[in-house]
Amino acid sequence: MDYELECKDVTYTYPLAQKPAIKELNLKIEKGKLYGVIGENGSGKTTLCSILRGFAPSFYKGDLTGEILVQGKALASYKDQISRKIGYVFQNPFTQISGIKNTVFEEVAYGLENFGIDVEEIEKKVINIMQLTDIMELAEKSPFELSGGQMQRVALASVIVLEPEILIIDEPTSQLDPQSTESVFKIIKKLKEEKKTIILVEHKVDLLAEYSDEMIVLHDSKIIKQGESREVLSDLSLREYGIRLPEVTLLSEKLREAGLDIDQLPITKNQILDLIEKKRKGE
Amino acid sequence: MEKTFTEKIQICKKNKIAGLYPTTKFQVVILFSISTIVLNSIKLTDFKLALLLIPWFLLVPFMFAITGEFKKCMKAMKAISFIAIFIMVVQTFIVSGGKTLWVWHFIAIREKGLQTGLSLCFLILNIAGIFVWLFQSTSTKEITRCLEDTKMSFKVAYIFASTLEMIKVFSSKSKIILDAQRARGVETEGNLFIRAKAFIPTLVPLILGGIIGSEERVLTLEARGFSMKGNKTHLFNLKKSGYERIILTISIIITILILAGRIYLWIMN
Repeated sequence: MDYELECKDVTYTYPLAQKPAIKELNLKIEKGKLYGVIGENGSGKTTLCSILRGFAPSFYKGDLTGEILVQGKALASYKDQISRKIGYVFQNPFTQISGIKNTVFEEVAYGLENFGIDVEEIEKKVINIMQLTDIMELAEKSPFELSGGQMQRVALASVIVLEPEILIIDEPTSQLDPQSTESVFKIIKKLKEEKKTIILVEHKVDLLAEYSDEMIVLHDSKIIKQGESREVLSDLSLREYGIRLPEVTLLSEKLREAGLDIDQLPITKNQILDLIEKKRKGE
Repeated sequence: MEKTFTEKIQICKKNKIAGLYPTTKFQVVILFSISTIVLNSIKLTDFKLALLLIPWFLLVPFMFAITGEFKKCMKAMKAISFIAIFIMVVQTFIVSGGKTLWVWHFIAIREKGLQTGLSLCFLILNIAGIFVWLFQSTSTKEITRCLEDTKMSFKVAYIFASTLEMIKVFSSKSKIILDAQRARGVETEGNLFIRAKAFIPTLVPLILGGIIGSEERVLTLEARGFSMKGNKTHLFNLKKSGYERIILTISIIITILILAGRIYLWIMN
C-alpha cells in the first residue's frame, strides 16, 4: 500500500544541538485521514511538521537520517514542486501574511500567482475558498488590519486555495479566542469532508478528539503512542507523560471509579451521550 | 455590471501625470537630479552663489500640483525643509573662508559659508523634493510591479515591497510594545533622557520579534510556492497613461538645454 506520507527510521538534529529533536521516527500517514499530534512543549511536534514538509533540513539545515516518502517518492525529489503536494499552516497568524499585498483577495491569490495559473481561474478559485473559509466580507480589506482569528482564516485560505493533497497545520488556534478557534475548526471539518489528508498539531485535546481519526503522541522527541483516536486518548497512562486527556474521558474515568461499568472510555461528547443512553436503557 | 476582484485591484488614475509609468517617473527624477547638480555648478553674483537652484526649486511644487498630490507632497516636504534649513543655517554660520559679509558679536557670515549653506540647502530641497514626488504619486504596489516588469529578480522586488510595507507594521508594533512596557512600569514620558532610556526596552523586543517573525515569513512564502521556477501570473498590471513619451521628451530637452548652458558658460569663461 502506498501511503500519502511515510517516515522510515528518521532522526533529525538541529545545527549546534547536542540531542536530536526527533528520534527513530517511523510513521505512515493514510490518505483522507485527519491525524492529531499531541505532546508536551518541546516534545518535537513542530519539528515533526517541519520534517514532513521538508523545511528541516532544507531550511533549518542540521542532520537528517532515514527516509521520508511522499506518495511513494522521496520528499527531496519533489524540489520546489512540494508546495503543490503539501500545504503548511503555521502557529502565528501574524507572520503568515506575505507582507506585500494590499487586500485579502490578493493575499489568498498570492500562491496561485506563484504557480502561474490563469487570472480567471485564480479569481474563481479564490472566491470559492473565501466562501469556504467564511472570509468573503474581508476580501477588500488590508491583511494588516485583520484580527488574529481573521488572519488565521486568511492564512488557511491562502494554503487551501493551492489544493494540496496533504495539509500540515501547526497549532492554528494557539493564539486565538474560543470563537475564532471554533471557526478554524469548522474549516478543518470541511477539509476533512473533502477527504484531505490532514496532520494537525493541537493542544486542545477535546477538539482533537472530536475531529481526528488517528492520534500521534510525542514525548521526548519520540512517538510513544499512535493509533485510532479513541484507543489513544482513552489511555490513562498518557497522563504520566504530561498529556492532557479530554474532559469527557476524565469524567468517564471518575464514573468508572464510582462503580459504573464502562468498557472503553469515551473521548467525545457524542460517545458519552451514547454511553449514558445505553446505561439508561440498561444495556 | 459589478467589477471582478481582479478589476477592483487595478489602479486607474485620472491624472495623466500621476498615472505615468513608474519607469518614466524614475527617468524624470534622474534627469531632474542631473540638472540640479549641473545648475549647482553655475555660480552667480560676486559671492559665487548657486542662485539658479532657487527658481529651479519652483518646479518641484509645480510637479506636485500638476500631479494632483500637492497637499500630500507638501506634508512630506515639511521634515525635509526643516532639515535643509537647519543645514543651511549651520553651514552659513560655521563654515569659514572668503570675505566676511556680516558680523554681530561673535556670529559672522562668511562668503564660503553662505555659498555652502545655500548650495546644500537647495540641493537637498530639489533632489529630495523630486523623490517625494515620485514616492507620493506612485504606490509601493506600482513600483514593485514595475521592478518585476524590468526583469528584476522577483526576490529583490519582494524585498523592496516588503521593506516598505514593514515600516508601517513596525511603527504600529512599536506603539504596542511601548504600551506594554509602560504597563510594566517603564517610564516613557518625560525629558529626553527618560525617553532615550525607554528606547532600549522598546527596540530590543521589536528587533528580536522582527527576526523571529521573518523566519516564519520565509517559510510561509516557501509554502506558497515563492521560489517556484517558471512563469508567474500577475493579477495586478500596470498601464501607461499615454503621456510618457511627451514628459520624457520635455525632461530630456530641459536637461540638454541646461547642460548646453553650462558648457557655454565654461567656454565663455
